[in-house]
Amino acid sequence: MDEQSGVAPHSASTPPEATTCVVTQHRVDQVIVVSVSGVVDMLTAPQLETSITAALAEKPAGVVVDFTDVEFLASVGMGVLVAAHDEAGDAIRFSVVADGPATSRPLKLIGIADILPVFPTLDEALTAQRA
Amino acid sequence: MTVMIDSMSLAEVAEAERFERTGMEAGPRAASLAREAFADWLERYFDLDPIRSADLVLAVNEALANAAEFAYLRAEHPGTMDVRADYDADSKRLVVRVCDHGAWRTPVSNANNPARGRGIPLMRALSDRADIEISSGGTQVSLAWHAVTQR
Repeated sequence: MDEQSGVAPHSASTPPEATTCVVTQHRVDQVIVVSVSGVVDMLTAPQLETSITAALAEKPAGVVVDFTDVEFLASVGMGVLVAAHDEAGDAIRFSVVADGPATSRPLKLIGIADILPVFPTLDEALTAQRA
Repeated sequence: MTVMIDSMSLAEVAEAERFERTGMEAGPRAASLAREAFADWLERYFDLDPIRSADLVLAVNEALANAAEFAYLRAEHPGTMDVRADYDADSKRLVVRVCDHGAWRTPVSNANNPARGRGIPLMRALSDRADIEISSGGTQVSLAWHAVTQR
């Protein structure tokens, strides 16, 4: 490839579909924040998985998956979080931001919030990462 | 031309009591589209708080996802799946049935993929009652909620 753009056109050419999910990343000091918006289901969970895997591969001090703008989260997406938490191990601090009936509620209901840290806001997650 | 403004037509009453999608090709795309159509139907006809609404949509999604993912693993061609929701105004009970016509694969805790096996616990936690009937002809998941009120 001749040209390389610094910005990935994530949503530019997305076909009009019922299910949409946008995953972006940014760095806050030594932490990579994976921000997700829209729907996380069987169709879109692979996008989330790819992004988290890429973030972990950079070996940052921590990875925060921010579900603040997620309107629907299926069990397949919860599985991606658990797998990522396992992969992060002790070397990378892994946490999730989720708040609301579509995200933090099911994470608590089936005990995932007991396995990995879930914070209601990104600020709280980042503060805990620095602690 | 007569326009009914204050009362629902008979067709609308029927639509308010039943949601149905049959003969969908089992797969993630159909599961996703059916979930969104079900969510729209709920939103249009029922008076649910955000928690209950989210619970219903997720539970139905998990039933659809199970049918889409597990039912046809060993089949040469993707089969079909159906979803049907029935509301009974007298008992205020909403029952959603998701059927597939494939062989049920018992969900096992799989160390390689932690996503496996969370669907059924979720369905049980999110509904007032969850029944799974397995037969040689396929699997039917029946999810029920009580005290559901229409708009």
